[in-house]
Amino acid sequence: MRSIRRLSDLEGKEAMSEKILEVKNLETSFRLEEGVVVAVAGVSFDVYKGKTLGIVGESGCGKSVTSLSIMRLIPNPPGKITGGEILYKGKNLLDFDAAAMRKVRGNEISMIFQEPMTSLNPVFTIGNQIIEAIALHQNLSKKECRNKAIEMLKLVGIPSPETRIDDYPHQLSGGMRQRVMIAMALSCNPQVLIADEPTTALDVTIQAQILELLRELQNRVGMAMILITHDLGVVAEVCDEVVVMYAGKVVEQGSVEEIFKNPKHPYTRGLLNSIPTMKKDPTGKVKKTRLETIPGIVPNMLHLPKGCRFQDRCTFVLDACRQAEPELRVIKGDDRLPHAIRCIRDI
Amino acid sequence: MSTQSNDGEILLSVKNLVKRFPIKGGILNREVATVRAVSDVSFDIRKGETLGLVGESGCGKSTLGRSILRLIEPTSGNIFFKGQDITKLGADEMRRLRRRMQIIFQDPYAALNPRMTVEQILSEPLEIHGLAESREAKRKRIFQLMDLVGLRRESISRYPHEFSGGQRQRICIARALAVEPEFIVCDEPVSALDVSIQAQIVNLLQDLQKELGLTYLFIAHDLKVVEHISTRVAVMYLGKIVETAESEVLYENPQHPYTRALLSAIPIPDPTIKKERIILRGDVPSPINPPAGCYFHPRCPIATQKCQEVWPKLYEINGESKIHRAACLYADRKDGPDEGILSSR
Ligand SMILES: Nc1ncnc2c1ncn2[C@@H]1O[C@H](COP(=O)(O)OP(=O)(O)OP(=O)(O)O)[C@@H](O)[C@H]1O
Ligand SMILES: Nc1ncnc2c1ncn2[C@@H]1O[C@H](COP(=O)(O)OP(=O)(O)OP(=O)(O)O)[C@@H](O)[C@H]1O
Ligand code: SF4
Ligand SMILES: [Mg+2]
Ligand SMILES: [Mg+2]
Repeated sequence: MRSIRRLSDLEGKEAMSEKILEVKNLETSFRLEEGVVVAVAGVSFDVYKGKTLGIVGESGCGKSVTSLSIMRLIPNPPGKITGGEILYKGKNLLDFDAAAMRKVRGNEISMIFQEPMTSLNPVFTIGNQIIEAIALHQNLSKKECRNKAIEMLKLVGIPSPETRIDDYPHQLSGGMRQRVMIAMALSCNPQVLIADEPTTALDVTIQAQILELLRELQNRVGMAMILITHDLGVVAEVCDEVVVMYAGKVVEQGSVEEIFKNPKHPYTRGLLNSIPTMKKDPTGKVKKTRLETIPGIVPNMLHLPKGCRFQDRCTFVLDACRQAEPELRVIKGDDRLPHAIRCIRDI
Repeated sequence: MSTQSNDGEILLSVKNLVKRFPIKGGILNREVATVRAVSDVSFDIRKGETLGLVGESGCGKSTLGRSILRLIEPTSGNIFFKGQDITKLGADEMRRLRRRMQIIFQDPYAALNPRMTVEQILSEPLEIHGLAESREAKRKRIFQLMDLVGLRRESISRYPHEFSGGQRQRICIARALAVEPEFIVCDEPVSALDVSIQAQIVNLLQDLQKELGLTYLFIAHDLKVVEHISTRVAVMYLGKIVETAESEVLYENPQHPYTRALLSAIPIPDPTIKKERIILRGDVPSPINPPAGCYFHPRCPIATQKCQEVWPKLYEINGESKIHRAACLYADRKDGPDEGILSSR
């Protein structure tokens, strides 16, 4: 039995940690036949060393596009980063040329992709793929690379890594493939790990294993992490800070405690309320006989309404909400950890 | 199962259901191995109730659900629907009976023909089962179905790709309801949907159940959703039911170590709660070559030598509920510990 801890809990205080990644007003668009979709429309957040930032929101709200933009892996055409800055240790990644960016990728900033099956190459053994990642960034002999790969597989809990290293992806279970992805992403000790739905395809028991693994590794090396998920339970357990996205924009952000105890945007509230509670719910909430829902569906990104993007599904909507798009405004907290919402109402 | 709580007529009774898939290979294409997808599963579902079925990927939930409708043929065992053994029915009789038993799938994208409009999709079952006498009657019925599941009538001529995932799942539900079934297998109907949309569909299924007196087998891997919607829950592991109880009893007093691990692994949306978690170690075993003894023993935190030798049956559990059973030697058993059944397949 183990209980769950965040790094900040371990230290017992709000550690003064350094800002390692700053995303400023990021805008990424896709040019489609029907028009231009601004999939990420001015998103900003900071990522701190040793901390985990969670990004949540409905399917299509721009979570993966945000992370692919940081990695500079947006397919062009049809996509393009059309604005903003991505500062890694103070330097704007958008100014880097392809060669410089290759050095950053995997080495400094690493990513676990949403679909493990599509990101592992089926015709190479998992060993080959990890070794290639290591060889690309580290000046090691073939033998040393292989040993390092075995060490990484052991680290992520693959049994008998010495023999498993020569397996092909299809010979592994989904959970094991996901762990191989993590091993690969971590093989060069990145400063920032972006994990895009790392456990969504997995069973809860395996999910618990993987999340614990990520936490352990983070504690050990002080890595910063961006965790993308639509499971609010996972966010509550793993993240220090949360960004809630809706239709390409940040609609609420703050510390994990603030977001869960004091959600102030109608969308965040709606999301939290649509989760079923259990009879013996540890949160102390009473079991619901009927789930609360957010009516309607997300707007078409090609035909966004004037004003607040959430207006058609919002139970608090006023006329003013339809006039102009609300700004993100800080309602609590300080510069380091502001609690901000994109809503004109105080609910 | 012999002992049941509650009253109410048994609508569906599954007895000793087995489904094996042969794996063929070699130059002679002979059977080289067998996937034991469902092994000796028995349960009853009463009219108007929802039996939740949970368990990890590959444990046999979909195979069980499909075998019940004979969309795949069970290897052995019996399925009684309203007292009639449907494993004995011929193809024609079975087709007629399918009106009463429907299924909704996980992936609302794959389940709908992209070249058919909503009208065509909903007409099909009505025509197959001769349920619409005239064009007007058919249209009326289609509108009725669309109202029932909350689709706008004006979208009747639209194609599946013009709908969101949640709306597509509504079309699938409408199609299942078209033939007025009594029993629906819901195979992960909300797993592919966002939480906000998931809640809409769960509510819809519950409303329809009340309104139309439906009975569900609800397959899902989200234990919170399962507890919310189910009257009773069965937990499956590697093709077998390892625990079954009334929903509240199962979540309050889980007896099988696997159920306990599952429940402890649910992430709780409250950052101030530090949950004690059972982290399972060890590999998930394969249904091609299941381990001897209790199938769970390689991952079980409390396994003993005996667990590797003895195959536990579903023992009755001490407590109020007559239908609480668990297949663990060390569960709180009514009959006290015994030797179980010697490992045999
Ligand atoms: N290659 C692409 N071409 C065109 N549009 C794209 C492309 N990739 C993403 N988009 C669009 O960008 C928007 C955001 O997509 P994104 O993949 O970031 O969503 P997401 O939040 O990660 O969703 P999910 O939870 O489903 O993974 C969507 O409207 C999507 O249609
Ligand atoms: N047609 C088939 N031929 C051979 N093996 C099969 C076939 N269909 C299913 N299986 C195997 O039977 C087992 C049970 O599969 P099933 O799809 O019922 O699992 P499940 O519990 O529904 O999983 P999931 O949660 O991933 O949907 C698996 O090991 C699967 O690989
Ligand atoms: S700005 Fe208005 S419509 Fe938008 S979330 Fe706030 S209250 Fe709702
Ligand atoms: Mg994504
Ligand atoms: Mg299935």
